[in-house]
Amino acid sequence: MSTPAQSSGSKRTFGAKQLLTGLALIALGAIAAVAVLREVTRAPSNSGSAATVGNAYAGTVPRPARTAAEESYATGLWPIHEIVQASAVRMTFAGLSYKMGEIDKVEVKKRVAPLSKVFEQAQVKFDALPVPASMQTQHEQYAEALRLYRNASTEMVKVAQDGKEEHLVKAQAMSYSASENLLRVGDVLWPGEHRPN
Amino acid sequence: MKKVIGTLASLGLAAVGLFGAVAAQAQNCSVWLVESSRFMNVPFGAFMPDRAYVPGSNNPNNNVNTVDLPVNVGVIKCGKELILYDSGWKQQDYLKMTGSDHWAPLPDQLKMLGFNASDVTKIVIGHGHWDHAGQLMDFPNAVLYVQREELKGIEWALNYPNPKIAAVNTSPGGCMRTPACGYPPKTLDEIYGKVLAGKAMIVDGEAEIAPGVKIHPAFRAHTAGSQLLEVPTSIGKLVFGSDAYSSYEGIRDWMIANPQQTDTVQQFLAYEKCYKITGGYQNCVSAHEPLSYTDKYPLTKNSWIGINGSRMAEIALNPGERSRHP
Repeated sequence: MSTPAQSSGSKRTFGAKQLLTGLALIALGAIAAVAVLREVTRAPSNSGSAATVGNAYAGTVPRPARTAAEESYATGLWPIHEIVQASAVRMTFAGLSYKMGEIDKVEVKKRVAPLSKVFEQAQVKFDALPVPASMQTQHEQYAEALRLYRNASTEMVKVAQDGKEEHLVKAQAMSYSASENLLRVGDVLWPGEHRPN
Repeated sequence: MKKVIGTLASLGLAAVGLFGAVAAQAQNCSVWLVESSRFMNVPFGAFMPDRAYVPGSNNPNNNVNTVDLPVNVGVIKCGKELILYDSGWKQQDYLKMTGSDHWAPLPDQLKMLGFNASDVTKIVIGHGHWDHAGQLMDFPNAVLYVQREELKGIEWALNYPNPKIAAVNTSPGGCMRTPACGYPPKTLDEIYGKVLAGKAMIVDGEAEIAPGVKIHPAFRAHTAGSQLLEVPTSIGKLVFGSDAYSSYEGIRDWMIANPQQTDTVQQFLAYEKCYKITGGYQNCVSAHEPLSYTDKYPLTKNSWIGINGSRMAEIALNPGERSRHP
């Protein structure tokens, strides 16, 4: 049996391997340390010249006084807008609470389904508003927002049926577009709405 | 022999760990301030009641009628992390707000500093108000950090039966008369979008988001879930406070600001936190600092004009970091 001879030879080989491993670890440690230090002090490779761009964005614009019909429209739309805004945020919070694990999909439907009716009722009142010609653009923007919110609420409650989050993603995109329209209309009708906060 | 090898191997591993820890602790951040937009001609007293204008007064605290208030965003580079503190608001040409000017898209402003929107890794919003938590969708790779307490506070106000205490405006005249407001649908949709995309951390109190970069809760110092951000730099630690912090002079002189939702005791405790962390008031950074980008505000003395008249400042640079001053 060649085992003893092999054993003694193996012992010498094993010791040398351990020594090499140890030295390699130390070397790796040193390399890693240098790499870390270089990373945190490395200058960024991007370059950008900071030229001042021309004035592509308009600033404040003096606003003309509103006509009686326009005031009446803004006043009439505000109570609808109050309810629509609050309902939109409630819809968003239903999604947030679901994603944060605070409610289940059944509760999502319980919270959002009534909001569909709120948006429908808002639509009825909205359609009854007399619209001055000068406010036609804002009226169409608000109508689009209402349509998107109704569709978003209908889409959201589908998560209760199949649990698929794609319904929430689709609904959020619609809600986001609707919210931009609310701001577009609000900027014209209620310009003091958003102050420093 | 085996013992020697084992010891050397252990020392090697320890060296890796030690160098890593030392490097992490030694890490400072480079910091810039960017003016996202500016509220023009704001009555000083509406912002800071102690600075209310008194016609004919010789008191320097009461002889300034209106101020322009920037909406400042902190741009913080720590190693490979690019962090924003607050994110301004998106006011493109479809929305020209009365009293506001010098707005520019934050991604374009970052480009002037040599960064891309896709470089932003984290966004910490000091609170969820519309002028501090906008443009989130423009930073697809950024993880949003928002306090759970902030979201709980909004939801509470949303569902409170008295319409005078609401999370959304119940007066066309603005937020001042609905003290829990300031969260329009778009702002909440932006936060929700980040949560849906799996790019949000709901924070419970303190959190270290990068070595030495720490979130400190400042609940009710402005809103229910306000949060500060401590940042180590070559000029000492900075503490960003958003609207929990009034102004340079306000923190120096212990004056309140933004009173519509603020628990002023908590606000003063937030000031005290900055004093303790930084050793004074000079490195406490407020969002609407009226002296920003002037000689009277030392932190932003290295400033320049950017897009559409908005301003930027270079506050601190890490060794090896190049200046972005044009």
